[in-house]
Amino acid sequence: MATPTPTRGRSWTARYPELGTGPLAVEPYISPAYFELERERIFRKVWLNVGRVEQIPKAGDYFVKDLAICKTSLLVVRGIDGNIRAFHNMCSHRGNQLVWNARGSCRAFTCKFHGWTYALDGKLRQVTDEESFFDLDKDKLGMSPVAVDSWEGFIFVNVDATPAQSLHEYLGDEFTASIAGYPFAALAGNCFSWHTEVNANWKVAHDAFAEIYHIPTLHRRMIGDVYASKANPYAHALEFKIFGRHARVSLSANPERKATAVETLAGRYGDVVLQQVNTDINAFPHGVNPSGYPHWSFDGLAVFPNCLIYVSQGTYLTHIFWPLAEDRCLWEIRTYAPAAQNMAQRFAQEYGKCSFRDTLLEDGSTLERTQAMLMSGVKQEIYLQDQELILRHRLKVAQSYIDA
Amino acid sequence: MPQIQLPVAFRDLASYHEWSLATEGQRSAKRQASTIEDLRSFYAGIMPRMEAVLDFLARLPLQADAEVQALLHIALSLAEIAPAVENYGQPSVIDGYDVARFVAVHE
Repeated sequence: MATPTPTRGRSWTARYPELGTGPLAVEPYISPAYFELERERIFRKVWLNVGRVEQIPKAGDYFVKDLAICKTSLLVVRGIDGNIRAFHNMCSHRGNQLVWNARGSCRAFTCKFHGWTYALDGKLRQVTDEESFFDLDKDKLGMSPVAVDSWEGFIFVNVDATPAQSLHEYLGDEFTASIAGYPFAALAGNCFSWHTEVNANWKVAHDAFAEIYHIPTLHRRMIGDVYASKANPYAHALEFKIFGRHARVSLSANPERKATAVETLAGRYGDVVLQQVNTDINAFPHGVNPSGYPHWSFDGLAVFPNCLIYVSQGTYLTHIFWPLAEDRCLWEIRTYAPAAQNMAQRFAQEYGKCSFRDTLLEDGSTLERTQAMLMSGVKQEIYLQDQELILRHRLKVAQSYIDA
Repeated sequence: MPQIQLPVAFRDLASYHEWSLATEGQRSAKRQASTIEDLRSFYAGIMPRMEAVLDFLARLPLQADAEVQALLHIALSLAEIAPAVENYGQPSVIDGYDVARFVAVHE
């Protein structure tokens, strides 16, 4: 069988004629009015990835997720029955935020203001000086629930009071089947994560991680030759695939890459995030490395609207971009790998973490500079090439929600 | 800074005690506050010993005594400064986003 090779030219976008090939408007990246439309018609309507089940392994474990874009704060908690529930983080008395710390574990939630107490399932259990209230019906005054479900261990919420679709319908059969069997849980033993508030539209940040075109230029010092090679100088993808509102890109690795001395050392004791050539291609379900390329690097899954999941051998990571304003966002990065079994593996993970973080710092510099110039209003359009297909697709899907 | 104790076989690395830092935040701050000459000197001094260090650490679980932790923390500092020496030729990422704005949640 002929070995598939990374493509040349402009062949991918043509497979999805509905995406068009023209320039895209700058307006969605800078307009306060468009931002409000995104809030009302996308973020308040769709399923959003807020974390993983491993963050709350035991009954009573919880975390708080502030969703500025939905103008609320959520409390995500594992109940006595083992089920994960989500609530608006709000006391039914006079509206105080119920839980103030980012994460923890408890048997019940007690409001710091007047001491109203709620069970882990959201029911109002106890009201301080209850006799002094008038006709209080405690059964109707539990925490306000939010739709929550999980997929492959990722916890999703939907703040719509009556979501139009279940999480599974939203993700779609073909998309979920494509990645089923990837060991998300087994690889979640060790999570390194960072967050940073960026003065850029959330899509400017998202777009920077949804294309590989920039890597040989922007990242030439750090990972310029990880994906690009003599045979594939622009690091063209092995494959793009659109799954309704979601999409996937699959990338090859450069087998002739020269690792640095410390990376070589680290690689002898453990996996190094995203910098390795993966050759154990039979270890994965059919939807991972879909073209069966012998020198595969990673697949990027774009989960609409604001989540990217990169899956690789022995490690995966997520980028989630939370809109704060038309020119501000919160960028969350989480890398996952099995817990280190010994201290040398811990060193390998640390090298992977630090070199990955430094690579992200290279990306970070473009975000605020891009936003500042888009805000100048000098240019009204941006131009995408074939390998930036995921950006074009995401904007198209977003527009379909806004026009609906 | 008080002198640290290292495992017997690695007492020769005691001069790098100031790199025995427990968190990514501390190691990153130390990298950013150093000159590239400082970083190259640490790199050149420890690299010839790293294979022995890692072969030693590979036999040890993550929970170990303070001397071993001190050695691990020096090794983790090499991981921190490696990109500065090997990729950038300066302490910070060239044209990089401010690392202090990157909040490490894992610590």
